[in-house]
Amino acid sequence: MTMNRRSFLATTAAATAITGTPMILRAQPKEYVLGASLPLTGPFATAGQLVAPAFAMAAKLFNDEGGIAGTPIRFVTEDSGYVPQNALNNYQRALASEGKNMIGYFADSTGAMKLIAPELKGENARIMGSTSFASELADPATHPYQYLSGPTYQSQFDILLQNIKNEGGQKVAFIFSNTEFGRDPIEHGRKRAEELGLEVVLEESTKAEGADIPTHVTKLAQSGADHCILQGYVTGVWPQLIGGARQFGLPVKFKGTFWGMEKLIADRITAEAGPFLAGYEGVMPYRYFYDREDAPRYQQYAELSKAMFAGTPLENYMSTWAIQTMCGLEIAMKAFRDTAEAGQELTADNIAENLAGISDWDSGGFFGGPVSMENNAIGTGRVYGYNPEDGLFTPKSDWFTV
Amino acid sequence: MGQFVQFAINGLMAGAIYALIAVGIVSVYKATKVVNFAHGYLIMFGAYFYFTFAVIVPGQPWAPTWLASWQPAWMIEMKGDLPMFSPVAAVLDWVANLPRILLGLAGALVCNAILGRIIERVLMRPLMGQSIFAMIMVTVGLISILSGAAQLIWTADAASVPYIAPNMPIRFELFGTMIFLFGTDLVNMFVALLLFGGIVAFVKFTKGGIAIRATAEDQSTAYSMGISVPKVFSRAWVLASTTGAIAGAILATRNGISPSLGLFGFSVLAIVLMGGLDSYVGVLIAAMVVGVLEAMTQWKMGGGWAEIVPYVTVLVVLVWRPHGLMGQKEVERI
Repeated sequence: MTMNRRSFLATTAAATAITGTPMILRAQPKEYVLGASLPLTGPFATAGQLVAPAFAMAAKLFNDEGGIAGTPIRFVTEDSGYVPQNALNNYQRALASEGKNMIGYFADSTGAMKLIAPELKGENARIMGSTSFASELADPATHPYQYLSGPTYQSQFDILLQNIKNEGGQKVAFIFSNTEFGRDPIEHGRKRAEELGLEVVLEESTKAEGADIPTHVTKLAQSGADHCILQGYVTGVWPQLIGGARQFGLPVKFKGTFWGMEKLIADRITAEAGPFLAGYEGVMPYRYFYDREDAPRYQQYAELSKAMFAGTPLENYMSTWAIQTMCGLEIAMKAFRDTAEAGQELTADNIAENLAGISDWDSGGFFGGPVSMENNAIGTGRVYGYNPEDGLFTPKSDWFTV
Repeated sequence: MGQFVQFAINGLMAGAIYALIAVGIVSVYKATKVVNFAHGYLIMFGAYFYFTFAVIVPGQPWAPTWLASWQPAWMIEMKGDLPMFSPVAAVLDWVANLPRILLGLAGALVCNAILGRIIERVLMRPLMGQSIFAMIMVTVGLISILSGAAQLIWTADAASVPYIAPNMPIRFELFGTMIFLFGTDLVNMFVALLLFGGIVAFVKFTKGGIAIRATAEDQSTAYSMGISVPKVFSRAWVLASTTGAIAGAILATRNGISPSLGLFGFSVLAIVLMGGLDSYVGVLIAAMVVGVLEAMTQWKMGGGWAEIVPYVTVLVVLVWRPHGLMGQKEVERI
């Protein structure tokens, strides 16, 4: 048979059809991958090391449920040291090694989210969750592939300020770490306080670690505030500030946001320095792990924790930080599964569209009721208060949706 | 005026701690001409040793109960229904914790001294006679080793430690303003200043101190005069480590225990440069100035500025006097 132009084209077309079909079939990988950067070392290593086991549990749970439409998912976690540039490097490495199999990424800070955001374009776009509640990220126009697994810090301030107003508060102080995390809701909080008729008598920024407690407490005493919101701290500074104020005999009521509401930290402070955190309250988007009567998903976690983490402190209690991560992974999984069930390819655009469309979602008990994604965030939470006698944070308000 | 005094005292209390941290850097520099970038991490180890002996050891099942909390009958009776932060309650709490505080301090001092000795013997002494730059680079590498080792041994968990002194609130009126002070901060300040004074006296008036000063002037001449330079090196490292242990314990009571304690060393390096790398008195003045400036800036301009203004001052001083406030001007003879 002689090869002329027509037969060459026909042969090529046939060959393309034959070799092209498996290409489409290969679009369905053997496994999906979700990469993550965690602060396993560095200033927030306490949180990172408590969060890391959640990924092992999530892998077991999600894959036992059938993964994503029958395809298993694997989690790849790396240490960032809480350095955004390290998180970006981790992301790029994961992207290079996992390619299209990697359908999502989890970052450990606002800084990392902002640094990685410009990378999320075209073929390199991936859906991204994180530990951050930064208000700036809750904007699908500027951050279409990034989402928050709860309310923004601004929304958390809204909830707290409304709660203070309901309690009859009049003068509010904001004490915050001099970090992006600390400063995030301050301007918004000032405006919201004004709308509610609350007077902001002090805006005090402190070092994130090793703050000069006597100076800050002195300024708080001089401000005459009846309530004080603490923002931008994780393990340190906030307990010392409250302890200092109590020693000075200040009657100020302290309120915190998500990262300052961990029971493990409050318990340690109480064990070492006494019950001075009595009355400390703050906003929490999720139920605490011990409050799982109406939270079937938590009950599943509890069973898994007993089996997987027997003999460790994680056996009986999951930190709020790990719960936040689990919530973030649950949201991502819902978007992945919804996309797959709709017969769509798991591209970042398809997943982002399904994620933004999450509506009246029964999370299995993370939140007070069904929740919806609005501006890539879930604006709900309630106020909890700490009781040093039983070491529990218990609800002090109904669920607020803002 | 009352408020000015309040913030000035707050600043002096912070400055005294800076001075105690700085004294270790100066001691090593004076003896060896090595700027120890890892000093903050030596302090962090001091804090963790204090934590180990004051919290972990007394909490073990085999440890006697009085070690964790000494509660004789008279104390329980005295405590009665005292409010938590009353001065008497604060003193009684401190007395109850005293056995573990003393154990913690002793453990931190001994362990940090051993650590300092090991660092000097294993890492620094083999480099004697080599370029100073190589020795400085070793201290930079030491940061990673100490930081990683601390997380391996104690994990990254944040924790609290007992106050070294009774933490009773002190209130008094001055110029019509109520002044608030923490008892433990005042004691910390006096401890820091006492230690500082003790070290300066040691270097100025004792044989060992004179050997350090002689070695700082000229190692070869010191050798020829019969001074054991390796011993001087070793003594300087042990001195830095033990003062670092106390500084670490004090820092841990103020900020809690965490791996980030090591970062304090870097901010204090700027203070040491401002005072003059080889001048104890210059460094004391610089530490107090930075402490007070931080507090005053926090008071008048807020936290954003408080982290900048003192260090701008450090830069200005260095531009004006490159060898620091009271540092020795080096003359290179060619």
